[in-house]
Amino acid sequence: MNKESAIRIISNALQAGRKTLSEFESKQVLALYDIPVTREILLMDKTEVQKAAQEIGYPLVMKGCSAAVAHKTEKGLIHVDVRTIEEARNAFDKIMAGLKCMDGAVLMQEMVSGKRELVIGLSRDEQFGPCVMFGLGGIFTEILRDISFRKAPLTKNDALKMMREIKGHKILYDIRGMEAADTEILSRILINVGRIGLEIGDVQEIDLNPVILSGAKPIVVDALIVLK
Amino acid sequence: MKTSIAPAIPTNFERIFHPQNIAIIGISAEDGGTGFGSGMFLAIKAMGFEGQIFPVNPKGGNLKGSHIYKKVEDIEELVDFAIITVAAKHVPEVLEGCLRKGIEGVEILSSGFSELGTEAGYELEKKIKSIAAGGIRVVGPNCFGIYCPKSGLTLLPGPDLSRQTGSVAFLSQSGGNAIDLAHKGKWMGIRFSKVVSFGNGADLRETDLLKYLADDASTKVISMYIEGIKDGDAFFESIQYASKNKPVIVCKGGLSQAGLRSVASHTASLGGSRIIWQSVLRQVNAISVQDLNELAHAALAFSLLPPGIYKRISVVGGGGALGVGACDAAEALDIEIPPFTTEQQESIGKFLPKPGSSAINPIDVANPFVPPQVLKEVLLEAAKDSRIDLQIIISLLYHYKVLATAMGLKVTEVAPFQELAETVCDVVKTTGKPVVVVLPNPKKGLDDFDTTEMLMIARREFLERGLPVFDELSDALRAISQVNGYFAQRNANHE
Repeated sequence: MNKESAIRIISNALQAGRKTLSEFESKQVLALYDIPVTREILLMDKTEVQKAAQEIGYPLVMKGCSAAVAHKTEKGLIHVDVRTIEEARNAFDKIMAGLKCMDGAVLMQEMVSGKRELVIGLSRDEQFGPCVMFGLGGIFTEILRDISFRKAPLTKNDALKMMREIKGHKILYDIRGMEAADTEILSRILINVGRIGLEIGDVQEIDLNPVILSGAKPIVVDALIVLK
Repeated sequence: MKTSIAPAIPTNFERIFHPQNIAIIGISAEDGGTGFGSGMFLAIKAMGFEGQIFPVNPKGGNLKGSHIYKKVEDIEELVDFAIITVAAKHVPEVLEGCLRKGIEGVEILSSGFSELGTEAGYELEKKIKSIAAGGIRVVGPNCFGIYCPKSGLTLLPGPDLSRQTGSVAFLSQSGGNAIDLAHKGKWMGIRFSKVVSFGNGADLRETDLLKYLADDASTKVISMYIEGIKDGDAFFESIQYASKNKPVIVCKGGLSQAGLRSVASHTASLGGSRIIWQSVLRQVNAISVQDLNELAHAALAFSLLPPGIYKRISVVGGGGALGVGACDAAEALDIEIPPFTTEQQESIGKFLPKPGSSAINPIDVANPFVPPQVLKEVLLEAAKDSRIDLQIIISLLYHYKVLATAMGLKVTEVAPFQELAETVCDVVKTTGKPVVVVLPNPKKGLDDFDTTEMLMIARREFLERGLPVFDELSDALRAISQVNGYFAQRNANHE
């Protein structure tokens, strides 16, 4: 059932001639595959801001959400640590102004705090088909390239091993007063990202970066699904 | 389970690897043995193949007393296997003849197919595939064929390969690597069950051969050199299956950008990205090696060491630096060289020359001329430590050259390699703990050929007793760590 719903989201995007899903759509697909994502609401109109803010609770993150936006930070389309209704309304206006040439909306989400950022992804290898990636997230993904792969489908053993395989795997331990990461949930995310790749042929790539450890719990904070 | 090729009738690989009779098609009476066909004829004769060899050439004639048949169908006897060396354009009709004759499989040594990257080349290879699908298995084209010490089949050009049969199989997309490893194995002590150079792999290639070897009782260790694979999913499935049964050592060529370019032109297949390959090999618990040397060392260790995990070892050698080097190298490979207890150091120390020696572990015997009987006592004593899983002895036999010169004798007469091999073998039998022998040779110059020769004879003495020998300690340690990695993972997966 969830698979059908996910496919519907993707075919709508394909029919609209798009090659990517927006962050909001991407996370809907992920949630359908039992992958924990930030609580969030897509806002089209400024009158919705107050109710949504109350529902999610401060502090908030507000982002421009459009399939056409890839690098939100560089375009001033991301506002973090929004703490009052005035700030939220102000952020809404700025984002909408920044999006003026594009078809978009404002995505309001909980602000997940955690010092540890991971990356999880999916790519299609010419020879081995969908392969799931795990590694250090945020800026370290590009700087250190500390990543591991497994060909889908993944067993739980594969998931646990690929986490241990990166050089920085100790980031998952209970270090410096932080809780050990919940590897049960992380395994589930890795396995299910692989399932998306196997079950939905139109998905070309998935990029979950960052996946933030909020205490022990991993939450997908930003997500991009690229279509074929 | 998905299979890449599922022939209607299961292949009788026995007829391919251990044929009673073979045909060699493309033998010319006129080339005097310089052509591929005649070369193979002479090579297989030289190997002492026990069955009948039927030479075939449309022109007929006579080759060194053997009648040359014009067509394979003219042969009256049953033919199990054929070697095809005719020009590429004639291969399809020859292959059809073999199919009609009821031959189980062929190796096509000829080149001029997909590796050319031309339309004509692809067309010819497609024809081979479709004929093969009709009920004959094909190794090649563009390959060096099959080497099977038990039956006497040999690679091109390998009249001088060993007929000692063993437990290591090698699959190679590259013919050069196949013949090189076969020669290397001969002196290194790698004994083969089967070696297959499959070239372009029009029919039989990595996936089917892996599946076959996974269940082949005579193969205990599978090693392979691959550049590109045809079907990722099928390959993954077969290597995962094989690796659950026995170690699979993989050397993947073409992982660098430059390597990728030469792969594309080499066997017309995709190389793939380094990180994905490494991950996939880890996922299936295959042993990934960098080059043919590393592959050979791993194959030697896997074939001669009993399956197991050798985490803690003792090292017996000469020279303090040797010991330091051993500890440094071992630690990086997750192998421990634990210091012996004071009591044990005392009991080992009793046998060692004084001063200069050390019984801590690594054990420094200080003097290269310590008699084998004394080394035996040291090894026996060290094995008493229950933590020790395996022992390494670094034998400095090359120093006997000095002694031999002083005595006016040959180094082969002076160096006590035979006694050493016997005593080490006794130690293994008594203690039940494997001993790995390292025979370094810094004396490789022209004026020390006798030392090189002596060490080769020494190596043979150890190998004949089932003791693995490496040139360098680092090679031995790396190979042991690969054995450890494989079995640790396999045990973890079985939990």
